[in-house]
Amino acid sequence: MTLQFASVFHGGNLGLLRLASLLVPGQHRGEWWREWRSELWHVRQACTPQSDFSWKGEREVAAFCLGAFQDAFCLRREIGHKRVPLATTKGSAAQCMLFLVSVMAVSYCVALVCPGVRAELLSSRYRVPHNLIMIRSPRYRQDSVPTISAEQVRAWRVRKQQIFDGFAFYQIVHKSVSTSRAQTVLRLARASPNLFELLALPVRFASTGREIRTDVPKLILTEALWKKEFAEDPEVAGRVVEVGYRKAVIVGVAPAGSWRLPGKVDGWLIEPDVDAISDGVGFVVAHLTPSAAQQRWSERWRMSAPTPEGTFDDFLCVSLAERTRESWDLFLFAVILAFLALPATTSLPLGEYRLSSRKLSWSTRLRRWSFLSVKIALLLPIVYLVSLDLAYMRTTLDTPSSEYIQLVFSFSICLFGLRWTLRDQRQRCPVCLGKLTHPARVGQPSRNFLAWNGTELICVGGHGLLHVPEIPTSWFSTQRWMYLDPSWEILFPESGLVSTGYF
Amino acid sequence: MATEAKLSHTAAMILQAVNAGYVYGFSVMEMTGLPSGTVYPAMRRLERDDLIRSHWEQQSIADAEQRPPRKYYKLTRAGKMTLESSRKRYPLLAKLIPSEQVESV
Repeated sequence: MTLQFASVFHGGNLGLLRLASLLVPGQHRGEWWREWRSELWHVRQACTPQSDFSWKGEREVAAFCLGAFQDAFCLRREIGHKRVPLATTKGSAAQCMLFLVSVMAVSYCVALVCPGVRAELLSSRYRVPHNLIMIRSPRYRQDSVPTISAEQVRAWRVRKQQIFDGFAFYQIVHKSVSTSRAQTVLRLARASPNLFELLALPVRFASTGREIRTDVPKLILTEALWKKEFAEDPEVAGRVVEVGYRKAVIVGVAPAGSWRLPGKVDGWLIEPDVDAISDGVGFVVAHLTPSAAQQRWSERWRMSAPTPEGTFDDFLCVSLAERTRESWDLFLFAVILAFLALPATTSLPLGEYRLSSRKLSWSTRLRRWSFLSVKIALLLPIVYLVSLDLAYMRTTLDTPSSEYIQLVFSFSICLFGLRWTLRDQRQRCPVCLGKLTHPARVGQPSRNFLAWNGTELICVGGHGLLHVPEIPTSWFSTQRWMYLDPSWEILFPESGLVSTGYF
Repeated sequence: MATEAKLSHTAAMILQAVNAGYVYGFSVMEMTGLPSGTVYPAMRRLERDDLIRSHWEQQSIADAEQRPPRKYYKLTRAGKMTLESSRKRYPLLAKLIPSEQVESV
C-alpha cells in the first residue's frame, strides 16, 4: 500500500515536470527534461524513505518539482530574446506592407476625389430591393429603353391586383428650368407621386417647415445639380422654379448615388397625380404584395397582363435586387470566383520544403503565416477600391455597364493579386521574411541524372539557401530550402542577424 | 565574460558551492538552502555567462550504480576569477561554504 502511494506520487511528480517541460522551447526541451528527471530521482532517494511513506518527504519532492516551472519560465524568457528579427534589407516584409498600404491609400483618395466613385462608395441601399420589380416589354434587350406607357400603368392601377400592391411610373424628359440665376435645359424624370416613397429614397433638406402647395409639381434635385445651380444652398427647399411653362416647387435634394434605375437625370419632377402624365412611354417600378413576395420567384420572370386595349400582352419582370446589384455583392462574388480560379493558374504550396527534418519554431512559422494573411487582408480592400475607381470614374456610363466593369476588374485584380501574393511569399526567406537574392545557376542540364541543376538563391541574413530545380525530376520535383547552421554566421557579419534560435 | 562582473549574493553563493565540490543541482540546493526554482535558473545563467560549464556523467558509471546519470557543473577560469572578486565583496561567503572538495567527479 505504501509503495503504491509512493509510485502514485512519483507519477504525479513526473507529470508536473512534463507539464513544465512544455514551457521550454523545443530545441532545449530534451536536455532540460533529462536533467530534471535525473535530479528528481536523486531528490526522491534523499527525501523519501525506501520502505515507508512520508508526507513530509513527498512535500519536499513536490516543492522541488514546482521549482521546475520557474526554471522553465526563465529558460523560455531567455531563449525568447534570441528571436530572429525581421530583415531590413531591400524588399523586406515592412517595405512590402508599406507598398500595399500606400496603394490602398491612393485608391481610397481617388475614390473620394472622383464624384461617381465617391457616390458609389458611400451610397445607401434600397430598403426592400427584393420586393421591388421593374416591369418592361420583353421586346427590348436593353432595360434603358422606356417601353411602358402611362396609359398602361393607369389601366393596371384601376384593376384589382393580386401580385402587386403599388406602381410607380417615370419618364425621362428634357425641360427648360429657370432659376433666379439662369435658364438651363435639364434632363428630368417626370414621375408619379409615389416613386420616392416606393423606392424608399432619402431626400435631404425636405423639412423646412414651410407650406408646400400640393397642386403644383414638386422638384427634387440631384446633388450635382444642387451644387452646380443652387450653390449648395441648404435653404433650397420651398423655392419655386419654372419648369417649361409651369411652376414647380423644390422639395429637397437626393443624395448622390441613391438613384440606380434606368435613365441618368438631373432631377425628378414629381407630378401631383399620375394622370397628369398623359402621353409617352416610361419605366414602371412595382411593389410585390407580401403573399407574392413569399413565393420567392426568381429574379427575372415573365407575366401576361391586360393592356388598355383590352387584350393581353407579355411583360418582363426584373427584380431590382438583380438590376441594382450592390458593388459590395459584386466584389464578394468576384473574390470567390478568383479564389476558385487560383489553383488553375498557379501552385498553392508556399515552397517551404526542407532538406533536413528540422522544423522551424512555431513562432517563426506563425510570423510567416501572419505575414501572408496580412498581405491577403490588405489586398482585398485594394481590389475593392481600385475596381470601384475604374468602374465609376466615368460618370457618363450607366449603372449596368459600371457594374460589369467592376466585376471584370475585381476578378482580374483579385486573381493576379493572389498570384503575386503567393509568388512573393515563395521568394522570401521563411525565417526573416526578406527577399531572396543573388540567383546562381547550379549544375548542367546534361548531367541531370547525376546531380540537380537549377537556380540557387540565398537569404542575405544567412538563414539559408533555396534550391529551385530547372527540370523537375522524381527525386527533385519541388524547390527545397536548406537552412544554414551557426557555423555560416561568419559569412554574414553585416546582416546583424542571428542564425540560431529559429529552430 | 568580464572578470569584473558583479554577481548577486545568491549567484556568488552558488558559484562558491560549485567550487566547493557541490557539483550538481540538488547538492547545491542542499548546501545553500535555496529552492530549486532559484538554483537551477541561476546555474543556467552562470553557464550562459561562461562562469561554469556542465557535462553529463558517463552512462556506464550511472548504470553501475543503478541510477540515472547526473549533470555535473564545474567552474571555468572566468568563474574562478569572478568568484575571487565576489569573495572580496561578500567576505562571509567562504565561511558559509568552506572550499573543500566533498565529492570528486
